[in-house]
Amino acid sequence: MVKAIPTPVRILATVLVVLTVLVLLAPLAVVVGVSFSHSEFIAFPPQGWSLRWYQEVLGSGTYLASAVTSLKIAVLVTLAATLAGGAAAVALHRGKLPFSGLMATFFLSPLVLPTIIFAIGMLMFWSKVFGQISVLTLWLSHTVVAMPYVIRTTLAVLAESDPFLEEAAGTMGAGRLQRLWFVVLPQCIPGLGAGAFFAFNISFDEAVLSLFLRKPDMTTLPVQIYGQLEFSPDPSVAAVSAIMIAFTVLMILVIDKILGLQRFARS
Amino acid sequence: MNDRAENLLLALPGLGLLVLAYFLPIGQMLSLSLSGREGPSLEHYTRFLSDPFYLGVLWRTVRLSLVITLICALLGFPFAYIMARVGPRLRMWLVVAVILPLMTSVVVRTFGWMVLLSRNGLVSQFVRDLGWAERNFQLMHTESAIVIGMVQVLLPFMTLSILGVITRIDPRLEEAARTMGGSFLSTLRSVVLPLSLPGIVAGSLLVFTLSASSFVTPSLMGGARIQVLAGSVYKSVTQTLEWPFAAAQAVILFVGVLLVLVPYVKMNTPKHG
Amino acid sequence: MANVRLHAIRKSFGTNTVIDDVSLDIASGEFVSLLGASGCGKTTLLRIVAGLESVNSGSVEIDGRVVTDLPPEQRDIAMMFQSYALLPHLSVAENVRFPLRMRRIGARQEQQDKVKAALDTVQLGHLAERRPEQLSGGQQQRVALARAIVSRPKVLLLDEPLSNLDARLREDMQVELMDIHKRLGLTTIFVTHDQEEALSLSNRIILFNGGRIEQQGTPAEIYAQPGSAFASSFLGAANLIPATIAHAPAAVAVLADGQRLALARGSTVIGPTTLALRQEDLSLGVAGGAGLQARVRARVYLGSRNRYVLQLAGMEIKVLAANDQVFADGDTVTLSIDPGRVRCLSR
Repeated sequence: MVKAIPTPVRILATVLVVLTVLVLLAPLAVVVGVSFSHSEFIAFPPQGWSLRWYQEVLGSGTYLASAVTSLKIAVLVTLAATLAGGAAAVALHRGKLPFSGLMATFFLSPLVLPTIIFAIGMLMFWSKVFGQISVLTLWLSHTVVAMPYVIRTTLAVLAESDPFLEEAAGTMGAGRLQRLWFVVLPQCIPGLGAGAFFAFNISFDEAVLSLFLRKPDMTTLPVQIYGQLEFSPDPSVAAVSAIMIAFTVLMILVIDKILGLQRFARS
Repeated sequence: MNDRAENLLLALPGLGLLVLAYFLPIGQMLSLSLSGREGPSLEHYTRFLSDPFYLGVLWRTVRLSLVITLICALLGFPFAYIMARVGPRLRMWLVVAVILPLMTSVVVRTFGWMVLLSRNGLVSQFVRDLGWAERNFQLMHTESAIVIGMVQVLLPFMTLSILGVITRIDPRLEEAARTMGGSFLSTLRSVVLPLSLPGIVAGSLLVFTLSASSFVTPSLMGGARIQVLAGSVYKSVTQTLEWPFAAAQAVILFVGVLLVLVPYVKMNTPKHG
Repeated sequence: MANVRLHAIRKSFGTNTVIDDVSLDIASGEFVSLLGASGCGKTTLLRIVAGLESVNSGSVEIDGRVVTDLPPEQRDIAMMFQSYALLPHLSVAENVRFPLRMRRIGARQEQQDKVKAALDTVQLGHLAERRPEQLSGGQQQRVALARAIVSRPKVLLLDEPLSNLDARLREDMQVELMDIHKRLGLTTIFVTHDQEEALSLSNRIILFNGGRIEQQGTPAEIYAQPGSAFASSFLGAANLIPATIAHAPAAVAVLADGQRLALARGSTVIGPTTLALRQEDLSLGVAGGAGLQARVRARVYLGSRNRYVLQLAGMEIKVLAANDQVFADGDTVTLSIDPGRVRCLSR
């Protein structure tokens, strides 16, 4: 189109994009900047340049311990969410469950329901029925929140698959289990892969559930950071956070490799 | 085994998990909120709804959420439109810019804002330099800080929701409007905006519920004196240890969220089978 | 190779009765076409034989064994889907090997030999390691065919397999299908809405209408003697004329009285055949023109058109002609027809 967008609008649009991207990314940039600061005070722009906070973090027992806890739980959550979520996605895709529509809503609802509800509910329920909170409690709660991501990505992949493949496999002599293993599973793999990465990321970053369901000897990394922020943070917090950001960037790159992010530009 | 049984078996682990870690906990929360000193009662609800302090907390939560939703919609719509209309490479980077914050921990993001909005932070300095505030001013621990932090957290949700709808609008509709004499802006207003409305509404409903129930960002950005509903719940659970009261507050939050979400779900129900 | 017996099949989806009391006997090695318009139930019947749909009542027997309640994997069948349904994550060769794996036919080496043979049959041996997405539509269709025959099923089921191909590819595939049927002799059930396809390929045509069998018979029978208004409007009545096809050098049909009729270029049929010429495809002109010479026996006035009964090569044929030219009894006329509209029925 000739002169599709008038020049003043173009300028405004550019300004808007720059401002919005700034708002979106500034906090992250700031965190990374502070992490390289030399001084003990948190300031941006950072005063001096040093890697001392990274050294401190990587040598710190507490940070390492909470990182390991976060990692352990994230791995367990990824496994559980991928298996349960993948299977559920297949069942939902086929649409032959009783109350199919309602089921889909229930399975996907943790995506929109506030996490604090799950946190409180689980705390109260578990304390009453099972007593002490444990890693198991946190694992289950994280999985409930992470599973819909796996379901959503797997459903997206299944939606684009050939609907006749299972029937064809049946006419070729494949029984139920064989159809699931040789036909359905290969179709799901891109969705399961992306979902698994989302699940890992969700669990690792998760703060609300972990805040409510914690014990003194069981702290996750985000909770550790939260604790530091409430009192007297020094740039070591920034270093930890920067490492987490780097991790996230890695995740995004891997997911893009597998699936292409465009697919998830529609919710 | 028939088809139905196979599907039920596939859904079973997920269902089991939902029951154990979702339905039963919410049920327990509900029942605890109704447990008074002498059997079932509504005393916790009455306590909350008749105390001006708590009503103030509730009102603040709703008010801030409305502001946050409005800002997200005003920013999100043009941003989503631009994302939809630029070339694939630029759009790729914009998608990354939108998704990256979503995928970092909320504590990390909030920390970044704390640095920027604290007394020595760049933004507070900027505001002081402009003469809008006095010497010791900082943006931290104000309602504005909460809004700023939350907008950054929730803008991606709004943007992605609207983006999904805009990408499905036939660009030829805009072309037709232009050939009929409409300017770019008027076409935006008369063609794109109405057609994007479902995405804007859905995004708004989502952002509203997420901000009304948000805990980490408002607590860190607002400080102890500015409380939102989720913060009040946390306090009742961990500090004053009044669990039934906390449950009642959580139920109030939950019901409020559900009321807003019902139209959202109706708009977005995936169709399968 | 096996026979198939369908007895009193009834199938409804909700309140919609799709198949209404259909019984059918298909002999071993027969090539049967289920022909009809969309929604007449022919595909549903095929899927019932495959085990992809259940029946409300009635029974299905394959080779004397009642299979009505058996799932597809327990029936010795193979099916070719309209959309080919190739497994996208497997190579062409692995796709063709899949039924052998699932049905546990032979050891690995034997399976690979069968796969090679099947791919050679459809002339795709050189594409064995490709993925389905790298193939053209016609090539994918051939892979689907190879996959369907590799296990030598008792019954071969084809669900409108050629409808996604363009006209030329379709003709080539029709010849290939006929060829394969001649060689392997598999009992074949073929679903199509294209009557010309059914006429060329089948031993027997089953004409479907509204969930019931309207008529069945050999292609020649059905084409010449439609038993009902529906059948005749679906197929079109025609004149059947014995002729011998020679290539001298172009394809030409020689009638009993020595007259010659030009055929479509590229026709590969040769030898004795039956020509099918539709009443409405033939045109009349003054005697001595280019075409066949025939004599008018009678004329029936139909308002906008005339139906003429003519004598040609010792036979009576009928022609529907417009009103602009009128020929009297005893006149000699020239018969002409677009070579592309001449059908050769070889069965």
